[in-house]
Amino acid sequence: MALLSLKDISVAYGKNVVLKNLNLDVEKGELVSLLGPSGCGKTTTLRLIGGFVEAKNGRFVFNGKDYTKIPVHKRNFGFVFQNYALFPHLTVFDNVAFGLKQRNIPKNEIKKRVMEILETVGLKDYADRSPRELSGGQKQRVALARALVIQPDLLLLDEPLSNLDAKLRVKMRLEIRKIQQEYNITAIYVTHDQEECFSISDRVAVMNNGVIEQLDTPQKIYNLPRTEFVANFVGFENFIELELEAKKIDGGFYKLKNSQRFKVTHFNGREDERYVKGAIRPEEIDILNEGGEKETNTLKGIIGISTFLGKHYQYVVETEVGRLLVNGSAHKRYVKGERVTLYFPEDKIVLV
Amino acid sequence: MKKNVYVYLLLLPGLIILLLFLAVPLFSTVFRTFQGDEGLTLTKYIAFFKDSYDRGVYIRTLKLALLTTLIAVILGFPTSYYISRVSRRVRGLYIIFAVFPLLTSPVVRSFSWMVILGKNGIINSTLLKLNLIEEPLRLLYNEFSIVIGLVYLFLPLMIMSLVGVMENIDEDLIEAAESLGATRREVFARVIFPLSIPGLIVGSVLVFTGSITAYTTPQLLGGSNTTVLATLIYQNAMSLFDWDSASVVATIMILTTVFVTFLINKLSSRLNA
Repeated sequence: MALLSLKDISVAYGKNVVLKNLNLDVEKGELVSLLGPSGCGKTTTLRLIGGFVEAKNGRFVFNGKDYTKIPVHKRNFGFVFQNYALFPHLTVFDNVAFGLKQRNIPKNEIKKRVMEILETVGLKDYADRSPRELSGGQKQRVALARALVIQPDLLLLDEPLSNLDAKLRVKMRLEIRKIQQEYNITAIYVTHDQEECFSISDRVAVMNNGVIEQLDTPQKIYNLPRTEFVANFVGFENFIELELEAKKIDGGFYKLKNSQRFKVTHFNGREDERYVKGAIRPEEIDILNEGGEKETNTLKGIIGISTFLGKHYQYVVETEVGRLLVNGSAHKRYVKGERVTLYFPEDKIVLV
Repeated sequence: MKKNVYVYLLLLPGLIILLLFLAVPLFSTVFRTFQGDEGLTLTKYIAFFKDSYDRGVYIRTLKLALLTTLIAVILGFPTSYYISRVSRRVRGLYIIFAVFPLLTSPVVRSFSWMVILGKNGIINSTLLKLNLIEEPLRLLYNEFSIVIGLVYLFLPLMIMSLVGVMENIDEDLIEAAESLGATRREVFARVIFPLSIPGLIVGSVLVFTGSITAYTTPQLLGGSNTTVLATLIYQNAMSLFDWDSASVVATIMILTTVFVTFLINKLSSRLNA
């Protein structure tokens, strides 16, 4: 049984529904990320688990117990805030010791545990500093230490790295992952940064409009999105309407609006539906010179606007089924108005 | 270099006014109290504290001011905390309500308390009607009514000072404390209270100095046996034309205010540690 499960959770602020019948299971020791654009409900989900937000209906079960009504201070969850939320009137040591003092642990034991965790996050020499004297990265380490030192049953992180600069973010996310695995602690991590999310998570829940669109490993989310939203979110920028003609063992055969035929070999659970969309990334489409048509998986098009992206040129290509984004080699630039043939490799198309 | 000199010239008008109308009179007031037949002396102060009446007035004033400050802290803290946690729009409304009494004159406000506390006032007539008492309580013209009047007068200052710092306490800090196992009460004691101390200092100093120097309220709500320092100054200067004694009382008032302000600061920084 899952360590944590949200069952049909709904949250609304007045008429504004933020979460709609949300279900989520998290196993012990896992790091699950909630990923999505702002306003998708990821932070609300995290705050609900933390106990700062009340559910309108649904249940939150943790470790077999109903936690729906348990107040924040009895949950024993560590929470790491986006803006660190360090107590400005306390030193680094006292910030980290806050939760231990709350638990009436003897003084020398507190001292031992605080210094241990400060050593883990590399801030042993900063115990007597005031939070004011720390850099952003150091503050976030203190916040992490403060949440970890109480030996929480669950660690909740709310965009913990979004206030740091790019290089530090990469370094910190590795550290967070390392510590999470070292302590074998179950964690839920909210972020809108895809790369950060994929690099750190065991599983990712992509959220949109208050529902989880897909919960999967980072690899599956990236390569085999199951909905149009998720596909779009991870960079599938082209969507072509398809109609199923025949399903065979090695793939499905589809008809396009202009009667062209596409073969798709990826099966991701949508292969039995008659009307689907084929999603493909701009960099997976090949540009062939005019006349290079094959029996399946090609479309004729006319080059439109092009932009230089460094690694390649990106073209807007007008086709009979609509406008597509296609990346081409940086060595050759097609000019506006040029007629080309686009090839869509059968194993690069994902059904959504 | 030259530019700097001109910048300082801008200070001049204010400086002249302050010197002429504040520093000089203050100095001459204070200076004359130390003047004796043979140079500087403390005899006038010794005389003040030897006089049991004067000493009584001093102790009463101090007591009333400290009591007022204490009550303002007790009443102001929860109110301010509540105001600081509501939404920004509602907060503005509440602050207007809190400050509203400041918009009328202390005379009017004292009179309204006379209406409420008087022999035939609202409280007495209600209690009489309910048969809870047989004859009117003496609620007016004593220390009780002065404290009520002063608290009413100065509570807005306490609330404003406290709301000022409390609204800057990040909600995340409260949530962080809760997530670390603190109950609402513990959050208050360990996070909100220590972070509110700067506002507490400012508010207490304002209320205390206001109360110790108040004249109208004690005059109107107090009786003949509840004289305070401000009334004593008035009596000495305007009734007895004893300007020296009035100056002595005024100087004692200033020194007391400075000393207590210093104490409040010390105490607060100790609370903070």
